[in-house]
Amino acid sequence: MGLPTAPLVTIAFKDLAKTNAANRGMPGERICFLPHPMTNKTDEEMYKVLEGNDPVTNKPLMPEIIAALTVPLTAEEQKSGTVTPDIGPATYVDTQENLQRIYLDNNMTDFMPIILPTEEKVQAMLKGTSHKPDEVIGTLSAARGAQPSWSFTVRHVAINAVMAGAQPEYLPVILAIASTAQPALFSSTSSFSRMLLLNGPISDQIKMNYGIGAMGPFAEPNAVIGRAWTILSKNLGGCGMPGLSYMGTLGSNFNYNNICIAETENKLPDGWKPFHVQKGFKPDDSVVSVFSGWSLNNVAWFPNMPYHELIKNWLTHFFSFGTSAATLLLDPTVAREAKQKGYNSKEELSDYWSKESKTPAWLYWDTHKNELKQAQAGVEPYASYLKMGDGEIPFQRFYRRGRPGAPPDPNPKSSVEIIVLGGETNTYWAGGDFSYVTSASIDKWR
Amino acid sequence: MKINRRTLLSLIGVSPAVLAGSPAKADQSKKKSAQKSGEAKIETLNPKGLPPPIQLIPMAPRLSSLDGKTIFLVSDGFAGADRFLNQIAIWFQKNMPNVKTVYRLKAGSYFDDDPKLTAEMKASGNAMIMAYGH
Repeated sequence: MGLPTAPLVTIAFKDLAKTNAANRGMPGERICFLPHPMTNKTDEEMYKVLEGNDPVTNKPLMPEIIAALTVPLTAEEQKSGTVTPDIGPATYVDTQENLQRIYLDNNMTDFMPIILPTEEKVQAMLKGTSHKPDEVIGTLSAARGAQPSWSFTVRHVAINAVMAGAQPEYLPVILAIASTAQPALFSSTSSFSRMLLLNGPISDQIKMNYGIGAMGPFAEPNAVIGRAWTILSKNLGGCGMPGLSYMGTLGSNFNYNNICIAETENKLPDGWKPFHVQKGFKPDDSVVSVFSGWSLNNVAWFPNMPYHELIKNWLTHFFSFGTSAATLLLDPTVAREAKQKGYNSKEELSDYWSKESKTPAWLYWDTHKNELKQAQAGVEPYASYLKMGDGEIPFQRFYRRGRPGAPPDPNPKSSVEIIVLGGETNTYWAGGDFSYVTSASIDKWR
Repeated sequence: MKINRRTLLSLIGVSPAVLAGSPAKADQSKKKSAQKSGEAKIETLNPKGLPPPIQLIPMAPRLSSLDGKTIFLVSDGFAGADRFLNQIAIWFQKNMPNVKTVYRLKAGSYFDDDPKLTAEMKASGNAMIMAYGH
């Protein structure tokens, strides 16, 4: 940019900020640090921070900021050139016990034992695809734009698939997941979770479980494919390094397996399309779809009202980090009841939920501060909303909306996705804040 | 010029071992294994992909003094950064009144470039203070 700069960062992000500066070519960037967190401080408290010390250097903060802008550059700070990243040796040679420790200590696993990736096992894995080992698949980043994008080949994915315990017939699925450029471990303080949905002939071909316990540890491909995504995200995208490329404060247990599921397509009500067909693929295509969110509720509730009404009420009151998208996972028994109540497609049911669900008053006002000011000034309909007290505001939050400032869409689409799966042992359903990200062809990678 | 990344990371105080495969830790394990006899050793593959090369960028020349200069106070959009930068503006008014400060909110996400703002700062500013995260 050409201007002397003093970046200010809170101390919780010290390693991240320094590493990012180095990755972007300025290892000596003069970052000044603040206490953490700053967000909730009053103006007076913020001013006291300025009069205090940098918590890293323990030197007075404002003189340090001024020095960052005025002290002449050192020779190191004026260097140009190229730095070659060090990713370690091409191979490791040791006993199996020690090799397990090497992979674990170097953050190359999910901290559970792995299958050691020998050349022999990787060659066997590569038989699962017709693609050449040196074909470059794409790039992967812990946060595209903010973190470096690593590149990788079919062979790289095969090595990671071996480590996760995959069979060669799973490799096209894992390659398709890698081709989406979506990391399982996204760098955010919010601890993202991910979900993988398989549709099409592949589910039966590799024996995915979509019956009893469809979301549990009851089948090899469900377990291994989801695990492979986390391991490859670490090794092929530099993801999952706490404090450097992973900042989720609580973390997510879902990241061990990324909710790797398949839809129970043979139990869909008549007229209900499999998820991949909803997204434009053919029924005979094998497809993996990626979702992103944070949490799921597994609901056991036997209401006097129909399930679709119960779920509408749940949507009204559900909130988490995300408040405008939801995915419902319905046992086939729940889906069939909705069909009997007149919902002839997933789209009809999704539209009903988006149209009829509302928003609790406290949540509406907490997420619509400008509207609150207008309500207090008597502007309608917000003034009427305010008169509703603690009730439900008729604001439909489960619609896809454009970026702030974009003109309103006259025909907004529902942001509620529906997946049918499970073993029909009871009328259960799960719902959460997951939103659809993308789908990729598995057939392309066979 | 080529600089080993290990050297680079040492300069910023971050252990190279956490950023990529760590030969250092591998060496330790190898020493451990050497103490055991009769255990077969096998060769396994490094699972790492290819991180991009890093182009070093010389930092912008510093100012001889801030006296009479214009400093842009830029928020990256995280909550409260605007209020904190306002306190910096107040600090300069009290302690260095010859420094002019200009507040701006950077467009886009925290990691997006804002070419319009960059052009404005280059045209009418002398330095930038940016804040801050959470």
